[in-house]
Amino acid sequence: MKSRLSNFLKKIIISLILIIPNIVNADFFEDITDKIVDNPKRLSYGISVTDMDKDGRYEFIVTGFGYSNLALSYRDGNLINIADQDVFLDEFRKSIGVAACDVDKDGYEEIYFLNTDTYSGTKKYSDRLIDLEGNKFLDMFEIDTNKEDLNLTAGRSVACVDRKGNGEYGLYVSNYGGPTRFYEIEDKIIKDKSANLNLDNITGGRAVVSGHILSDRSDIFAANERGANFLLKNNDGVFEDVAFDYRVDDVIQNGRGTALADIMYRGRLDIISGNWQGYHRAYVLENDQFKDIGSSKFDKPSRIRTIISADFDNDGYDEVFMNNIAEPNKLFKIRENGTFEEIKLEIALEPDGYGTGAAVADIDNDGILELLVSRGESKEQPLTLYKAKVNKQSKYLRIKPINKYGAPARGATVTLLTNQRKHSKTIDAGSGYLCQMEPVAHYGIRKNEKNFKVEVKWTNGTKDLIKITKLDQTVTVKQK
Amino acid sequence: MKKTLYKFFLIFLVLFQFETIAEEKNYYKELITDWSRIFPDQNRNAAGPKFFKYIIDKEITYEDFVEFNKLYCAVSGSLIDPNSEPDFLFANESNTNKKICGDYYKCCIPCSCDIMKYSEVEKMKYKFIDGLQEFYVFTIKNPCNKKDFPNRVNKNYFCEGAKINNNQVYSLNGRIVIGLLHNGRSCRKDDIDFVKTHQVTGRFCELRNNTPLENLEGGMGDIFIKLAK
Repeated sequence: MKSRLSNFLKKIIISLILIIPNIVNADFFEDITDKIVDNPKRLSYGISVTDMDKDGRYEFIVTGFGYSNLALSYRDGNLINIADQDVFLDEFRKSIGVAACDVDKDGYEEIYFLNTDTYSGTKKYSDRLIDLEGNKFLDMFEIDTNKEDLNLTAGRSVACVDRKGNGEYGLYVSNYGGPTRFYEIEDKIIKDKSANLNLDNITGGRAVVSGHILSDRSDIFAANERGANFLLKNNDGVFEDVAFDYRVDDVIQNGRGTALADIMYRGRLDIISGNWQGYHRAYVLENDQFKDIGSSKFDKPSRIRTIISADFDNDGYDEVFMNNIAEPNKLFKIRENGTFEEIKLEIALEPDGYGTGAAVADIDNDGILELLVSRGESKEQPLTLYKAKVNKQSKYLRIKPINKYGAPARGATVTLLTNQRKHSKTIDAGSGYLCQMEPVAHYGIRKNEKNFKVEVKWTNGTKDLIKITKLDQTVTVKQK
Repeated sequence: MKKTLYKFFLIFLVLFQFETIAEEKNYYKELITDWSRIFPDQNRNAAGPKFFKYIIDKEITYEDFVEFNKLYCAVSGSLIDPNSEPDFLFANESNTNKKICGDYYKCCIPCSCDIMKYSEVEKMKYKFIDGLQEFYVFTIKNPCNKKDFPNRVNKNYFCEGAKINNNQVYSLNGRIVIGLLHNGRSCRKDDIDFVKTHQVTGRFCELRNNTPLENLEGGMGDIFIKLAK
């Protein structure tokens, strides 16, 4: 009798395990926050990833809102702040948005800090554009000839845009309650060209991404609040807003975190757009219109901030990390055909976390992405750092496109071509919310995947095809 | 016995899986997504009729039609949060002047008063993809000849010259349909007593409906009333 009962119970347990896979989920992430040396409570916002000190390695650049900006570098197994010059630290200006790109064509990525000391409209202190000369940081906006077009409007995010496709990066500054700015260097002077480029719209600017969305040049998607989103199609360097026609205007929702992702694994970039306490969108282009394919679990309204699409666990499928403020974070895996599968988090859930921004980079160069989460706004909190628990047999491939000036080709698109997929990733020009990821296309490799080739579509639309003979490496591709 | 129990258990688990996997239709999200299609100029003042027309033009079932019609305010043109509770009220039926009772989904309580006083209801028949249905709709008279057409309402939504613009709104017997009266039926005496003694449809509405137009606050103010009276 006992053994019959035990057999019956066994059957039930096995059925439960087979039919409800989620109940046996292990933690996806590992908490490695202790690797951050000196990590006090503070108000942090946007994070960018760039080689700030020209040593060939990337740093996490973390903004401080009434706190110092940080440059977290991986040294001796830890993340340590290496920023020590006042103009960079800048603790009295309130910085929230940050993006880096080579605006002066010298191969070094200047860092744009978007400061905002007021919620909307006119602000007191302008933004900074930090360059490195020798060992000294300087703010290009403090040079007399550059003072004419200072941004004195509250803003949020900033993204780099190579609108002409020639490596001369401009900066799209998403302002709030005042006109959008678009800075470029012309005749060695920083000029706001937004009016000439149809970009000087007034809105509640929140997030901005740039890349190959519609054209063969760098297009822009700007997620806005209290107004329609912009989808700015690049027509030979001048922009046309086609958000309504392409059905991404989402006019009565309030945009926040945004990322470009190849949701269908079909070799093109689509748009993921999180709305503040609104429906999160997974826009996939179909017949000249974007269709939102987000499932009810994915689109569920939340207090969203940053959205990141990346392959954290190197299994060849991207995850979408949703960083919420004062509400638990979420993680989804994108399966074939754009199916979003929720991964229950315990580590990195941060139910009491005031998430404000996040970025990914393989900061320790081991082939697995680290996720740095910044927190703050209404409560001072330390940064947190996570890394996925990765199968030891997993493999990866990292592609690092460098433009003709020797700078990261932000806005270029990398496509991995194999026997199983055609998978595009953008070289991040600015994304998430207030943030910017490392300028590398990071791919985990799927089971039984072979015949690896990589196509790099540069910001001018030309393409290079590279055959890959070895995995577990970072391949640097230089523009001819 | 155990086999039967086990079978039931498996059936329960499979059903549970289907329940969690099945995607429910999200009517509210659909309205939010298409909002700029419904209101290209972003002016939704008193534009319940635009919602009604947008919904009835869809190829949908009657159930879909009913669910969509719970999500906007026929008076103000505002969206209404899902799972909002309706007010039980009545309005006079055109031609017969009989009181028809039913549920009205509103964005705010003054709208319940305005719809009772300034609209009429009519029975409407319509063929949905799952068959012909009969239901009551709220209507207002053709406002297109008004000299004092409220300037905060987009006249082009409603009118083509002096005629109702049937490309933009739905008309029934020469009147504009502004929304659906849910679960409409002839009022019984106790229904009328309930409405008249209710703290909103009774006491509050009596106060609002006796307030001069220029002193009206809340809801759509006097915009809908100017359109409908």
